[in-house]
Amino acid sequence: MNWFKQLFSRGRLYHDLSDEIQEHLDEKIEELVAGGMSREEATHAARREFGNVTLIKEDCREMWSFPWMETLWQDLCYAARTLTKTPGFVAVVIFSLALCIGANTAVFSALNTVMLQALPYQQPENLATIWTTQKTDPGSEDLPPIAEVIDWKKQNHVFADIAAIGIPDRVTLAGLGEPGLIQFQTATPNFFDLIGVRPAFGRVFRAEEIQEQFQTVVISNTFWRNRFSSDPGVLGKTFRIEGMVSTVVGVMPAGFTGFAPWYSSSTYGKATEVWRPVNPESAQYAKRLDHWIMPVARLKPGVTVAQAQLEMDVIARGMEQAYPETNKGVGEKVVPLYDTLHRGAKDQLYPLLGAVGFVLLIGCVNVANLMLSRAEGRRKEYSVRASLGASRRRLMQQLLAESGLLTCIGGSLGILLSFWGIRLLRVMEKGHPDAESIRINGPVLLFAAGLSALTALLFGLAPAIRASRPDLNDALREGESRSSSGKRGWRTRYLLVISEIALAMVLLVGAGLMINSLLRVVLPSPGFDAANVLTMAVNLPWNEVKYVEKFSGKDMERVSPKVTALHQQLLERVTALPGVESVGMISIIPPLGAGMRTFSILGHPAPSPGERPEGSFNEVSPSYFRAMKIPLRKGRYFDERDTASAPWAVIISETFASRYFPNEDPIGQLILVRYAPQQVDEERPRQIVGVVGEVKQMGMGGLHPLLYESFLQQPEVFRGGSEFLHLYGSLVIRTTSDVRAHEADITASVKQMVKEMDPDLPVTDVSTMDDVLGNFMSGYQTYVIVLGTFAGIAVVLAAIGVYGVLSYFVNQRTREMGIRLALGAQRGDVFAFVSKLGLTLAGTGLAIGVALALGLNRFMAEHFWLYHLKATDPATYAAVGIVLLCIALLACYIPARRATKVDPMAALRHE
Amino acid sequence: MKKSQQRDLFPGALEMMILRTLKRQPLHGYALVQHIKRTSNDLLQIEEGSLYPALQRLLKDELVKAEWGISSTNRRVRIYKLTAAGAKHLEREVSRFERMLDGITRVLARGES
Repeated sequence: MNWFKQLFSRGRLYHDLSDEIQEHLDEKIEELVAGGMSREEATHAARREFGNVTLIKEDCREMWSFPWMETLWQDLCYAARTLTKTPGFVAVVIFSLALCIGANTAVFSALNTVMLQALPYQQPENLATIWTTQKTDPGSEDLPPIAEVIDWKKQNHVFADIAAIGIPDRVTLAGLGEPGLIQFQTATPNFFDLIGVRPAFGRVFRAEEIQEQFQTVVISNTFWRNRFSSDPGVLGKTFRIEGMVSTVVGVMPAGFTGFAPWYSSSTYGKATEVWRPVNPESAQYAKRLDHWIMPVARLKPGVTVAQAQLEMDVIARGMEQAYPETNKGVGEKVVPLYDTLHRGAKDQLYPLLGAVGFVLLIGCVNVANLMLSRAEGRRKEYSVRASLGASRRRLMQQLLAESGLLTCIGGSLGILLSFWGIRLLRVMEKGHPDAESIRINGPVLLFAAGLSALTALLFGLAPAIRASRPDLNDALREGESRSSSGKRGWRTRYLLVISEIALAMVLLVGAGLMINSLLRVVLPSPGFDAANVLTMAVNLPWNEVKYVEKFSGKDMERVSPKVTALHQQLLERVTALPGVESVGMISIIPPLGAGMRTFSILGHPAPSPGERPEGSFNEVSPSYFRAMKIPLRKGRYFDERDTASAPWAVIISETFASRYFPNEDPIGQLILVRYAPQQVDEERPRQIVGVVGEVKQMGMGGLHPLLYESFLQQPEVFRGGSEFLHLYGSLVIRTTSDVRAHEADITASVKQMVKEMDPDLPVTDVSTMDDVLGNFMSGYQTYVIVLGTFAGIAVVLAAIGVYGVLSYFVNQRTREMGIRLALGAQRGDVFAFVSKLGLTLAGTGLAIGVALALGLNRFMAEHFWLYHLKATDPATYAAVGIVLLCIALLACYIPARRATKVDPMAALRHE
Repeated sequence: MKKSQQRDLFPGALEMMILRTLKRQPLHGYALVQHIKRTSNDLLQIEEGSLYPALQRLLKDELVKAEWGISSTNRRVRIYKLTAAGAKHLEREVSRFERMLDGITRVLARGES
């Protein structure tokens, strides 16, 4: 008989067998009755001699079937049936599994893409960055002056070559369709060769190709596609960058996006579109004051970073002697390129990694706990089945099917969830050049799924194994089964719940600290009225001859009066626009930044060079403070008196006043301002005429001493590139009514005006002030939300754990509750009895969690951005502790209440 | 496996006895059990039910075939018959068994001397 026939004739076979066995028994009975036995006795005897009918039938059936497949199918059906009877349990287990698998897969996949992959350069392990570092602050990593790269190159024996790449910047593009902003980086010509990336076509620029009004550039593949429609004849074409004529000499291969050092937040990770050369040997940099390039070096084969560091230490000492003015107390620090480029991502991903790891643990613990309780609750079922002849293997198989089914469903949901999670992470990590290529990582998925499946199986099976060899008599007796799970079972269960709560507490502390920081930043006023303010930047190009005249061979620029005239004219015209209440202008709007200026106070002792007082500096129009509604604290705002020919005035912030004029009136004081790296003061002193309220100018965090100058009172000649704040001008336009209603009209009008004044000038960064503030923290906010979500999940899982154990406890103790109530215990006592257990568990977990969190506080302090907050902040600990306790209490409430509802009669009658 | 060890002397013994009995004459299950019990002088305490899985195994291997019929006591019974393959199988098994038994006997005899 072949298997196919078997498959269809099986029904008849089984039927025949049943009939046959029945006949057998009947015949035996007849015979025994004939032998003089009573029919009843005969039936028993026949049965006894025959053996276990069901088991024999099953044995026979197995012979005809494909046992593994059929029992599997059977088990799955049975599992599905039993599972649908406990939808709550199923939902919780699946939810836990899905979250664990989903969250872990997403985060680890991101980590894999962003961090674990080798840099896409030739032999990237030999690449390193060289920072300078203050010997007083060994952790510091600063950019060296450009000229220093030349000295290093000459003196070292460990590097094959040293190149340098500038901090990415946004610059204006003109002469190629609409003027606009592009991402731009400066590089030494050897940079591309050093990392081993060649242009797709054309060539790399040469050092001498950067002239005062002319430069060659290499463009990215994307830029070539978007701006030149992939024109193969692009080589030799020109456009203007910040007014400088730029000729394309090469196009980089697709996918090459350039370097994005972690610290340049505004451009972090944005793909570079254009590279231009820098010549480190230019006389322009001889003063060693230009700190805006990052040296990248290739180690000679066989040389380690440590060896290179030793060599650089020697070189650094030589440099200190050769250039005491700039290099005193300065060391060099060799850092693998990988570390430099991934620091930001690391800071973001490590805490997340920890968080999802915790979620995975809690989830597994939860699943373990649930499976354990469920299996314990079904001991009697197993015992009955075992006593009816089910083999241990059969029982375990069936449990495996159940756990397997749960894991499969949970796992599939988890995979779906991780797709979604990865989308979220891509948004969060959008700064990173590899963000778009974050994909689900197979091994990671397998790991997370495997781990949680293993937990489900292990904890589902353990009780089954115990149940399959029980003392059947014992287990079958009703009373015994009620309390049979034993002390050890309870201890395991309590430990699981305690660990869940402890882990949840740690996560909550982490999330709590970050939320606390965020609130400390977001809640206080930014220092101005952001409602109904529209802002846009009209930044003039710094290489445009019309506006800036360079002194050949000197690090100085003369700025044309046209610059001020343009901005002033723009201000006047915008003020006249319908819907505009007031208009002001500032070089860089808060909270996006400021320039640095040092100063000395006339009549005060001269500060030593290293300790000159500093202020965060912006140029403003006299109307700025009124337009922004920044309150005046003392003195006056700038007004029509403060013309170019009048004595120069400055306005300072309260922090400035209290820090530098603690015991005297700042109004009327004269200060001499200096652009920080330069050793030369401005030609004229400035008089402090007013003190204004605090403004969050440099990010949303701390308050910095602010220094405002009028854009009308500026020198003609600037040093070291300091003119850029004079060239920059962002309009702040306060509208008469809702800014959204006027936004489009005003923007169009301003663009039209600017176009009339200079067709090459782009109007950029159009946004409402509310959005500027909102977006500024949005990355951090997303991060806090993600971390908070993880913590929330952890808490929910932990609460489910508490709830599960307590309801099981109440179920098992129904009889005891009944007795207590019957003996005169009040319902309140019973309630207290149950909740006391819950709270003891929660409290213990909490205490352990606090200890764990305190142990991890250094990690948190290092990786979390905490604003004016210690990682051990007691208020945060207390707050999250209370939250967790409340939730635990809530989880206790339902089972405890049910315990009070026990009907003593019913519970006792069960006996 | 405990149970089958109790009811079988060694794997295949029950099957061999069934085949041997059926070689003499076709029988239905109950009669088969009774016959084996009787001829072994009740030395083999087999559970009556354990016969059926063995019969099913033989059926599946097509060493026996079964048909519904009427017994001498006028019952509707399933009568088992030896097939040609069954007869051959029995011969092989018996000779194997005898060789084995021979071997065991020798060992036991030597052990005694």
